[in-house]
Amino acid sequence: MRHLGVAATWFVAACAASLAAITLARGDLPTVTVTSPLPILDLAFGVGVLAVPFLFLLALLALAVGIWSLERGTGRDAALVGVFAGTMLLVLCAQSVAAFWIAWEAMSLVSAILVATHFERRIVRRATLTYLAVAQAGALCIIAALVLLALHAGSSSFAAIAANARNLPSGVRDAAFALALAGFGSKAGFVPLHFWLPRAHPVAPANASAMLSGAMLKVAVYGLAFVVLQLAGPPQLLWGIVVAGIGAASALIGVLYAIVDHDLKRLLAYHSVENVGIIAMGLGVAFMMIPLGKPAIAALGLVGALFHTINHGVFKGLLFLGAGTVSDREGTVDLERLGGLWGSLVWTAPFFLIGCAAISALPPFNGFISEWTTFQALVAGLPASPPGVQFTLVGTVAALALTSGLAAACFAKVFGVAFLGKARRPGQKRERETLGPAAASLGLLATACFVLGILPSLAFVPLGRVAGAMVAAPLVLPNAPLLPVLLVTLPIVGASLSWLLSRRRGIRATRTWTCGSPVTPLAQYSATAFSKPIRTIFAFFLVPERRRIVELGGSPWFPQRIIYTTRSRYIIDEVARGFTALTLGIARRSRRLQSGSLRVYLLYAVAALIATMVFVR
Amino acid sequence: MTVLQIAVICAAAPLLQGGMKSLRAKLAGRPGPSITQPYREMAKLLKKETLLAEEMSPLATLAPGLALGIAVVFAAAIQFWGNPLNNFVDIIALAMLLALGRFVLVLVALDSRSAFAGMAASREMTFAALVEPALILGVLGGAGFAGIAPLLSAAAIIIVILVETARVPIDNQETHYELTMIHEGLVLEYSGPLLAILQYAAQIRQLCFLLLAALLLPGSGWLVHLIWVPLLAIGITLTETFFAKVRLFEVPQLLTAALIFSIMGLLLRNGALPL
Repeated sequence: MRHLGVAATWFVAACAASLAAITLARGDLPTVTVTSPLPILDLAFGVGVLAVPFLFLLALLALAVGIWSLERGTGRDAALVGVFAGTMLLVLCAQSVAAFWIAWEAMSLVSAILVATHFERRIVRRATLTYLAVAQAGALCIIAALVLLALHAGSSSFAAIAANARNLPSGVRDAAFALALAGFGSKAGFVPLHFWLPRAHPVAPANASAMLSGAMLKVAVYGLAFVVLQLAGPPQLLWGIVVAGIGAASALIGVLYAIVDHDLKRLLAYHSVENVGIIAMGLGVAFMMIPLGKPAIAALGLVGALFHTINHGVFKGLLFLGAGTVSDREGTVDLERLGGLWGSLVWTAPFFLIGCAAISALPPFNGFISEWTTFQALVAGLPASPPGVQFTLVGTVAALALTSGLAAACFAKVFGVAFLGKARRPGQKRERETLGPAAASLGLLATACFVLGILPSLAFVPLGRVAGAMVAAPLVLPNAPLLPVLLVTLPIVGASLSWLLSRRRGIRATRTWTCGSPVTPLAQYSATAFSKPIRTIFAFFLVPERRRIVELGGSPWFPQRIIYTTRSRYIIDEVARGFTALTLGIARRSRRLQSGSLRVYLLYAVAALIATMVFVR
Repeated sequence: MTVLQIAVICAAAPLLQGGMKSLRAKLAGRPGPSITQPYREMAKLLKKETLLAEEMSPLATLAPGLALGIAVVFAAAIQFWGNPLNNFVDIIALAMLLALGRFVLVLVALDSRSAFAGMAASREMTFAALVEPALILGVLGGAGFAGIAPLLSAAAIIIVILVETARVPIDNQETHYELTMIHEGLVLEYSGPLLAILQYAAQIRQLCFLLLAALLLPGSGWLVHLIWVPLLAIGITLTETFFAKVRLFEVPQLLTAALIFSIMGLLLRNGALPL
């Protein structure tokens, strides 16, 4: 079962990689159509240029996840992950409304089965239900948008819809955009429709979480970009402003919730909300610049978004798989109970550190390059734009800068608390990790983070070609750190020199200075304490509630025990829950219509008949 | 040319620190150290033995050299003609590079198992995240432009400098009380040559930040801009003498002011605000 699943995953990876490579070399692949009696149900499959970066990401991630599944996780998970990867490949290749719909629903269903793996826990069942509800509501919006466009084009094939895009009335165009934004946005995790994501992603097995966060959210991003740029395009100025604004809100809200969370997997899920927000910023600037007649800047923004899509898949896959290894070995992903993993997880820890640096946009890793590109596009869009666009762009730049700073704070917390210092739980001596498939898959992804960071032109050249095909303009990169090698050579030389110097001169180990009190593992700074200043500064949004119980012994000055807990209120979740309660209430009230009496039902039928006659006349 | 620039900045950086320290002591009525004291202190530390908390990860010995290398890149990035930063590295890449040095130092602090270092690490990361937008927008808004916009941007950058160089309204370099330390607390476990490297890197960074602000302030020709460096240093020292540290949770208000200045500077520059 396990080997079959891994083989299926690798097969999907190979298909995705070869399709992407051929499409990049030759342009759009010819479409294969399976005709049906009803033309609206024709199934068409092919590969467009826009799908290429997403196919590459899927290939890379499926390869790494397959390697990881060889050692860890169950055989059932490995097999389901293989199927899941296959459904994502189908979505990316779909070229007609029906094909897209079937592939999309298959992707949602298989991922829901993966989320429901540990269904014996109540919280998992609830998460699965929330996920399915949001996924189905989103799918409904997407189908509505696609059918609307297909009706106007008179054909269900995407090629015909795209060819008709320029003749659309502006009302239809805007309606299609709004429906697509709601549908794909709910799948991608845009605020305020993100609330299912931090529930569903962490409860899935690690290899499934990696695929969900790393690849499935990106398939939704692909859908949005595809609808806006091709099916309903060209984009309008307002669409860009909306998408950039949603991106800024998602990035900030995602990272703030991540900072106050101490469950490693849920925290990573909130960072997915953040990074999807950063991708949306790049898309937003591209959408804004096309109607403003600045295609070169639009291409830059699109390249930033597509590059960040790939990069987020790579480092989030790395972090989720690493969290899976931690969870397998320690039995918990609660940061407050971990510590000192550096000493035992000798392979995972350095790879995980690279992932932390990459997601915090630190040079010389890939996250830095794609966020830098997004920054460049946002700043380049400023001169000679209308004031509304300028306000959006400046606000987005500020949000992006704040987000990257807060993300660095969050990952300093994660790595410093869980991997460095001393183990917080007393226990048996943990055995040293050996280099197995799990560690090797992390190594593969960490290498990708480093290589894409040091040699960004590996990605810039193909992505430039994709963006060029989308906006009809060549990619013009600003001339700053095209050579990140130059940027980090001096710091790396310095670091090696100071390491050598200390090796040569020798270091005397002493006890940590704690003003004379004993050094105990529990006195180390905790994750809750580390995030305290940010929790206090952003209290207006996070609304932290705290509970403190002090058990005094004999003396009021030296309490025996202090129990301190704090948790944030999730305002958006509360609103969502309120909406659910309202809907359920209306449903319960309307149940009275079903009285069970035949006479009342006949009355309904007559009333409906009369109403129809009145309205149709 | 760049090599000469790096050499001059690296050589002069401890002098600036010594001058500010000496001036602060004189203003407080103490005789104070000579302005060449930082050089002697560095020589003394370099001769000493290195002590480090036990069972630290190798990050602890990498971090000081990394910080110095990043400071030297900063020195190379300053440009005295046209834009305040050259094409080798723009402000966005520079801000992220500085974040790299800070990230590793914070990890070392958490690794040392000291609650004081952890507290300092938490505060350092918080304030660094809050100043990052003001730093980026400030330099973008002020670069190579005349009028009122660069003044607003320079005001933002000066507040950023107070945070980045651990100066009084936010931090206090002369405190000996672990609970109030931010930057000092971060390097609490360092000693000997490693501490010397870290202090030297901080001095270079301080001079580079002052040069950056000076290049945004009004004036024509790089010599006029250079006059701003001692003026800014004196201004910061006067602030340190006459103001007390603000409460930790009032610092964000100051940083929000910096952010607003920088946003207004950038919008004015691009003509979105009618002024």
